[in-house]
Amino acid sequence: MDFSLSEDQRTLVAMLRRFIEEKLAPLEETVEREGRLAPEVARDLFEQSKALGFYAMNIPEEFGGGGLSTVDMMLAEEQFGRTTDILIRRSFGNVYEVLLKCVGPQVERWLKPATRGERTCSIAITEPEAGSDAASIRTAATRAGGGWVLDGKKHFISDGLFSDFFVVSAVTDPSAGGRGISLFLVDRDRKGVTIGRDQPMMGLRGTSHVELFFDRVELDDQCLLGEPGRGLGYALDTLGRVRLGQVGARAVGKATKILDLAVGQARERRQFGKAIGEFQLIQKMIADSVIEINAARLLLWNAAAAIDAGRDARALIAMVKVNASETLGRVADRAVQIFGGMGFSRDLPIERYYRDARVYRIFDGTTEIHTAGIARAALKSGGALYDPVEAV
Amino acid sequence: MKIVVPVKRVVDFNVKVRVKPDGSGIDLQNVKMAMNPFDEIAVEEALRQKEAGKASEVVLVSVGPAQAAETIRTGLAMGADRGILVKVDGPVEPLGVAKVLKAIVAAEQPGLVILGKQAIDDDSNQTGQMLAALLGWPQGTFASKVVIDGASAAVTREVDGGHETIALKLPAIVTADLRLNEPRYASLPNIMKAKKKPIEEKTPADLGVDVAPRLKVIKTGEPPARRAGAKVASVAELVGKLKEAGVI
Repeated sequence: MDFSLSEDQRTLVAMLRRFIEEKLAPLEETVEREGRLAPEVARDLFEQSKALGFYAMNIPEEFGGGGLSTVDMMLAEEQFGRTTDILIRRSFGNVYEVLLKCVGPQVERWLKPATRGERTCSIAITEPEAGSDAASIRTAATRAGGGWVLDGKKHFISDGLFSDFFVVSAVTDPSAGGRGISLFLVDRDRKGVTIGRDQPMMGLRGTSHVELFFDRVELDDQCLLGEPGRGLGYALDTLGRVRLGQVGARAVGKATKILDLAVGQARERRQFGKAIGEFQLIQKMIADSVIEINAARLLLWNAAAAIDAGRDARALIAMVKVNASETLGRVADRAVQIFGGMGFSRDLPIERYYRDARVYRIFDGTTEIHTAGIARAALKSGGALYDPVEAV
Repeated sequence: MKIVVPVKRVVDFNVKVRVKPDGSGIDLQNVKMAMNPFDEIAVEEALRQKEAGKASEVVLVSVGPAQAAETIRTGLAMGADRGILVKVDGPVEPLGVAKVLKAIVAAEQPGLVILGKQAIDDDSNQTGQMLAALLGWPQGTFASKVVIDGASAAVTREVDGGHETIALKLPAIVTADLRLNEPRYASLPNIMKAKKKPIEEKTPADLGVDVAPRLKVIKTGEPPARRAGAKVASVAELVGKLKEAGVI
């Protein structure tokens, strides 16, 4: 069992890190201050990244993507975590793998344009009354003629202002509960689709989070993604790799970057005549962060390797989601503490990382929801969940 | 025409190196290594010449430990065609490297060898010049521009006080300065292709070269700590101090 990176993995990681440090990091403060990424800058980043094959690396080559394995994609996503959400979206693309459910004419209409970066997609599942309890959505689609009519409301839809189409969850069979929910591909220019206000957030500046309103939106039959009634299942399975990457791997990358800064500060900052890194209370914070980041990354790689091997990784993904996001939260908090007053000050980016880190414990399923899921799985399957000898 | 580009595995330029406590050298334990930045510029230049139709193949050579294959692979991912690793554990001095390269040149018959002007670890700035002397080839060092035209190359050199352009008859040696170009990013498709590109392994003995060090390092030490400067309150005071110091 060798956990060292291969030469090509190393090169990919080095190139992405260089791209992020040279092209993206210098833009972060401007985006933070202005609350937006100028469209011409976004366009330029996209074109540079696209030319290098760094856009939509998670999508198979047959659809125009980079065709990375899950493990390789996690290495890339970890690097993405070193910059901000909006810069990742525009440079590398958040092309959701749920779009791989596209078949027939859907491939040319939605999947390929999204992979090429011509059309941007957001996932619209959350509603004001349905967050963690995704089965309690009220948005509904009813059969009408050869298509569907969509009615309802979504909120907190990340990147909604920029997106060209949405993957929307809607009830199609009210009598079937969680098994009566389907996913739809909804173009933003459809009659009856209204983009609401951009909901201001604690962090992730530059990425919009909008309300969406659907007022008798007529959808043709092609707009149904996958099979009816399977929407929640897709959200759990297909979005699993997204959760692993966009939350798990990015949290590990962000924590790593923050720890780099904290270690630097502990080495450089002198008080009472010595570097503060010589004080054991500071050392404790650093050592805990090192251990937790290493553990989080190994759990991440384990889950990624399970996906590549075709095993059911749902419980592992949940563990990564909880562990990586909570690790990021602790590492960011310790970094503020190690930097002291400067950590709280807006003159350094530490406070921004701290604010940006907070949502990792919330989005894509809260720590509590995933924790409960892990406990249920353990009570059902026992050792299979925590003992490799028992695992299938 | 073939272009040979030697690449060296060195401490990453971001790393703050530390001297070993016994003064015997630099501590390389757990230190990130990378391709010498000037060599990256040399690889980029060779690739641009190839893309401009001036060269048909770019061959990378590294003299170093097994891990130097990684450095070659980085250049292959940028777009070079193949690599040669001359395996040596332990330090190799510029003259040793130049002798190895001479043997490689004899086998490969390139029209041009582009090297970094120096490696950022020992800053010797000797290998290119020594190779030119061993081969009896013309050399254009500290190049900031290279224009190949048939059997000759115009090399613009960064010299004290400005630029100098010289004409070299090929085959020739060029060493790359910082402003020659900006090295590209390796693209994802090229990174994947690099895996399949061949790296041939050789030893100095295969080439009939003795690379045993001729120099002895007596001591490695930290640079002296800088002392704090004096603060001045006004321009007049500054001018007064400078006069006092006899510098103006």
